[in-house]
Amino acid sequence: MLAVRVLGVLGILFVLSIVVFAMLHLAPGDLVKNLLGNRPSSPDAIAAIRARYHLDEPLPVQYLQWLGGALGGDFGESIRLQTPVVDAIADRLGVTLALTGLAFALALAVAIPLGVQSAVHAGGVVDRVASALGIVGLSAPTFAVGLLLLYVFAYYLPVFPVYGAGDGGLDTLHHLVLPAVTLALGLGAIVLKLTRAAMLRELDADYVTAARARGITDATTHRIALRNAAIPIVTGASLVLTFLVGGTVLAETTYALPGIGTLLQDSVLYKDLPVVQALTLLIAVVIAVIALLADLAYLLLDPRVRAKGVSA
Amino acid sequence: MTAHLEIRGLRISGPAGEVVRPLDLELRPAETVALIGESGSGKTLTAKSLIGLLPAGFRAEGTFRSGDQVVALDQPDAAWRPLRGRRVSLLLQDPFTSLSPVHRCGEQIGWTIDAIQGRLPRRERSRRIAERLDEVRLPARAAHAYPHELSGGMRQRVAIAAALASDPSLLIADEPTTALDASNQAEILDLLRALQDARAMSLLLISHDLGLVRGRSERVLVMCRGEVVERGTTAEVLSDPQHPYTRALIAADPALGAPGPARPVAAGGDREPLLAAEGIAKRFGDRPVLDDVSVQVTAGAVLGIVGESGSGKSTLARCIAGLEREDAGVVRFAGDVLSPGRRSRTPDQMQIVFQDPYSSLNPMMTIGAILREALATVGRPASEVGAILGQVGLPAEFASKRPAELSGGQRQRVAIARALAPRPRLLICDESVSALDVSVQAQVLDLLGRLRDELGLAILFISHDLAVVRRIADTVTVLWDGRVVEQGTCEQVLEAPEHEYTRLLVAAAARENTGAATRVATKGTP
Amino acid sequence: MTSPGPVGIVFGPTRLPVTVALSLGVVALALAAIALTPLVAADATRQDIMSSLLPPGADGHLLGTDELGRDILALTIAGTASALVGPICVALGSMILGVLLGTIAGYERGWLDTVIGRWTDLLLALPVLLAAIVVSGVFGGGYWATVALLILLFSPSDIRIVRAGVLEQSARPYIEAAQMLSLSRSRIMFRHILPNVSTLVITNAMLNVAFAIVAFSSLSFLGVGVPPGTPDWGRQLTEGRAIMLDNPAAVIVPALLIIVVACSVNLVGDWLGQRLTRSGRRA
Repeated sequence: MLAVRVLGVLGILFVLSIVVFAMLHLAPGDLVKNLLGNRPSSPDAIAAIRARYHLDEPLPVQYLQWLGGALGGDFGESIRLQTPVVDAIADRLGVTLALTGLAFALALAVAIPLGVQSAVHAGGVVDRVASALGIVGLSAPTFAVGLLLLYVFAYYLPVFPVYGAGDGGLDTLHHLVLPAVTLALGLGAIVLKLTRAAMLRELDADYVTAARARGITDATTHRIALRNAAIPIVTGASLVLTFLVGGTVLAETTYALPGIGTLLQDSVLYKDLPVVQALTLLIAVVIAVIALLADLAYLLLDPRVRAKGVSA
Repeated sequence: MTAHLEIRGLRISGPAGEVVRPLDLELRPAETVALIGESGSGKTLTAKSLIGLLPAGFRAEGTFRSGDQVVALDQPDAAWRPLRGRRVSLLLQDPFTSLSPVHRCGEQIGWTIDAIQGRLPRRERSRRIAERLDEVRLPARAAHAYPHELSGGMRQRVAIAAALASDPSLLIADEPTTALDASNQAEILDLLRALQDARAMSLLLISHDLGLVRGRSERVLVMCRGEVVERGTTAEVLSDPQHPYTRALIAADPALGAPGPARPVAAGGDREPLLAAEGIAKRFGDRPVLDDVSVQVTAGAVLGIVGESGSGKSTLARCIAGLEREDAGVVRFAGDVLSPGRRSRTPDQMQIVFQDPYSSLNPMMTIGAILREALATVGRPASEVGAILGQVGLPAEFASKRPAELSGGQRQRVAIARALAPRPRLLICDESVSALDVSVQAQVLDLLGRLRDELGLAILFISHDLAVVRRIADTVTVLWDGRVVEQGTCEQVLEAPEHEYTRLLVAAAARENTGAATRVATKGTP
Repeated sequence: MTSPGPVGIVFGPTRLPVTVALSLGVVALALAAIALTPLVAADATRQDIMSSLLPPGADGHLLGTDELGRDILALTIAGTASALVGPICVALGSMILGVLLGTIAGYERGWLDTVIGRWTDLLLALPVLLAAIVVSGVFGGGYWATVALLILLFSPSDIRIVRAGVLEQSARPYIEAAQMLSLSRSRIMFRHILPNVSTLVITNAMLNVAFAIVAFSSLSFLGVGVPPGTPDWGRQLTEGRAIMLDNPAAVIVPALLIIVVACSVNLVGDWLGQRLTRSGRRA
């Protein structure tokens, strides 16, 4: 079952790489000019570009050559930065990982207990406040929230810095607080919604009634229900991921953080196609891997699926 | 002996007003009291009110006395907690949902032990869990199994062990065997009895099934629309019911009532069968569901197909109807061979009435629209809607209603009307009365019998319930594991079963209504 | 596998009618603002370097002006059309695609289902916003090209939702009863199944409007999707970010507007979903 799943993911990635490659060649404007960027278009430079990207070969051959390079870790050279794409991405990866990690931790730490409490006291004050927060978190665009927080906490009350990622260590953490809170609001709203819905359903289940009837404490009952609710919550991980990718780009742009998101945005606006191509695939791979991990977690969480997974 | 538990003035009100009218109840140690009622009678709410777990929106009044402790039934949840488990415990109907699917069975029994004893040393805790499992006659290794790894009967044993691990003085069992196969039902009830005797525990046994409580309860209360209409010793109530509702329940319960009236029937004989399925085989994946099954039915006769869940009886019906494609075999209808699938079929050949009356009608259409559509398939005019509703005993005004406004029995009548609209010659009833309350069941069975006689319909009647089949079928086919194990007239098969499996089925059904026959005999001579 | 899970479940307990009334008011006001566009179009685009970066209230500019001296109030009102019209079209387009392809995939099954399934798998492997940024960034294209792109990117989830609903309904006995009556496939699909998934479809379309508002404004904030010079809230925020100290209104007003409008549409969608589910159950 798992092998089929992995093959499916590889298939999708393969098709995606073709689509992205084709896009580079279909993009409006002269490909050579795009690839040259701001470099002087001397005949030598043009020839170098044509050789570098094998532009004189037929398209399928060009694709295979690009794919060979990509599999070996060579994604070409950034037009804008004049450095290998891999280096450009590696430079930016740290900030993005720190930002998303922090936002994720914040979101889980707040949203899961809040979701459980909302479900336990459905209709109560906590539930109402949480549901209002959830609506805002789900529907407010990350950048709009970010800009408002920026105005309040960086300009009006200058508690947090306005720009950049800081000089490492605590300073970076200080710089990342506002962006992480911004990103965590949207993430948390999704997790909150998943947790509340799953807990509501589980708390209504017969086994919870049976447990309460046996005199089992509320704390234990809620723990049992949450363990059952974990299955649909983890299954919802794909939603979280989808939001995370877009949200990171927006949060980084809003706070001018030098991460993968801003690299993508700058490269798109500059038509730095090799970087765009590499980043798109990189993100697709990350998503696929995390989705796969979520499936594995699902297998760990649900003994029924585990039994089927082993026999199939 | 002094009353062990006393419930005084129990009254439950819900969003729509009073649902259970004031009710008194006493339970002595080791005594079983049965609370009988159909769905909606308020029996489950009564059970939940006695342990403080009424659903939101419902409120109980009255007092509950256990020994010298008196509590008000509307006390807050916190006050209930010390009583739950220690004084009262609850066993639910469905063992498939009453255990957490992601925790091992031993752990679930352990929670009850934790709640009573506090945290015990690991080894001591496992020892006690094993003890509890042994009590319900399960091996100690069952502690390591997840619920899905056990059969329904075994799961219900685990649920019993968990409910009794706190040694309550009262166990409320809400339909404890309804979700189980016939062969498991008696075992679970006997186990409960043994456990009850061993610890002098009172048992409040809640059921819709009067036959089930015979010989298993000392006293019985019959509940109808939130009111206790009759109470007394079980023997008294069953042999000499006073209230008309109790009498109706006894008469309507096919397990307790008399077999259907004798009817001059051409069961088979030399008449040409209307439907003959020969050598039907079907696999789902690599699992054989049907293996060389042959059945036939003539016009004006009823063929009962009997078997437990998983025996392949519904698949057989679906292959005959063309909703499923058989892998091998031939379906002959009025002499012609029908090819698999629906494509070549016409609506006037055969129709199905399904089990669940709640999902067999399109919720977005009115009854009139549903019937008009069915009539139109054979060119009958919309003006016949009223007539066809009359045929199934419903008033013509029902045409403007939607399914949600109808009761289960009424919906099943509409489903029958829809099935009759194209004037089919064969009607397939796939567990068509199983989801209905017994009194409604009887009415629908009567209706089917009447339609068979009036229209000369052939009926393929599929059921897991021998008592129901006995009431209506002329011939019976017993399916087991996808194969026909016995075939013959209803009398032959059910009175003198030859195959071991049929005997098992008949015996399990008979255990439920031991003594019913003698009572009927004495009642026959007033 | 990674099925979307219980997304369809409505958020929150009982919605106060007051909240819904307010939300409906906001949506109505926003739609009215679109009608006002011709009145403010001139003000919104008139550049006047002499009166640039005025604070709110100065010189007859209620919310001040931006770097180019454009009136923030006029610009904001003129931006409403860009913020709402596209998203509504995206939700409608994606709904139509979803109903057509989802119903066919769910009821007909077979190779059509497989092809449609692979197609949605492929599109769902990429997050909407990422794909939109890359495609409209690299290819350019105007506002309506973005609408078309977002329809394409939104439709897979619509197709999946409709397909799942149709599959669920197809297994119900009332559909088998319809098959027993030998009704035509299109009659079963569109007369029997579709009305029973319409609640799902309408609710989802409403929520899609909210998501599309977010997606559109995010794209324009990042500088793609909406051509430069068009009055648009997302663009206002990009430009306003630099002048936050001189005229905070240039950022705060459009940011709050996007949040309030998106939340309102979402709330109305939830409420509509609850209402329809309830009346569907009653009917």
